[in-house]
Amino acid sequence: MDMSGVLEELQAMVGQESELQLCKDDVNKAMIRHWCEAMEDGNPLYTDEAYAKQSKYGGIIAPPQMVQAYSTPPLWPKKEGEPDPFAKAVKRMADAGCFGIVATTTTQEYFVPMRPGDQLRFKVKLAAVSPEKTTRIGTGHFVTAEYTYVNQKDEVVCVQSFTVLTFKPGAAGRA
Amino acid sequence: MKSLYWDDLEEGDELPAFSREITRTTIVATAIASRDFQPVHHDHEAAQREGAKDIFLNILSTGGFVGRYLTDWSGPEGELRKITIKLGATVFPGDTLTAGGKVVKKYEEEGEHRVDVEYHFSVAMGPHAWGSATMALPVKGK
Repeated sequence: MDMSGVLEELQAMVGQESELQLCKDDVNKAMIRHWCEAMEDGNPLYTDEAYAKQSKYGGIIAPPQMVQAYSTPPLWPKKEGEPDPFAKAVKRMADAGCFGIVATTTTQEYFVPMRPGDQLRFKVKLAAVSPEKTTRIGTGHFVTAEYTYVNQKDEVVCVQSFTVLTFKPGAAGRA
Repeated sequence: MKSLYWDDLEEGDELPAFSREITRTTIVATAIASRDFQPVHHDHEAAQREGAKDIFLNILSTGGFVGRYLTDWSGPEGELRKITIKLGATVFPGDTLTAGGKVVKKYEEEGEHRVDVEYHFSVAMGPHAWGSATMALPVKGK
């Protein structure tokens, strides 16, 4: 497969962004507490009503790094409709032979806090597709998504970039 | 609950060491708490079919541990503004996840008193996750 044609095609898609999609669950105390229980996170802003009430927030907030838990695809019913531009790019790479995939870097920047009752929406942009690179994992391309999460007031909650290496398996690899 | 004051920190200050035994239960509980049902995080055979020796910690949980490590250090008034995570070795059941970090920059920006921290999480196989984080901290007398 000629990767240069695929690369050109995908680089032309950079900047494409999905529509805003509504997250299935409102931000809620039960999911926050379950997260804190699993992580053993004792920050009282997340689970101690009395402490949170007298804090600058005036009430419980969610751990900011939890935001992605609201956008993970449900087990059932399966998500329908068009895949987002990042998913399309990763699929195109896989079809062209780079079917190994490993996440390499993620950055989250936080703006307004998430509070119980917030309704989040998110959109996904294809942010970058790199030329061919050879890494210790394998030879392939870095593909970067940018997720933007907003609340019901259209305030930006978080912008997350997420980079994966899509590579041709065969040489050194890891799951 | 006490929080660190920005005034009391210096560039070069070390964050306390952190260590947690990662069990099969940790991996499954954190995957489910982050709504990540990918089989490699709870199904041993599925993980092996994907080329891993066992189920392994998901990325959201790495983020959860990094955020927790930082606010455990700062106290609840320390606010996370940005976290970058570079991913390395996979975390399997039976691994001990250890962490350390240090303050690399202390500054004022956007009306806030901020620090940048560099941190690293490791398992016996090598570095698991490392990167930098920006936090806003309270100042004395405000």
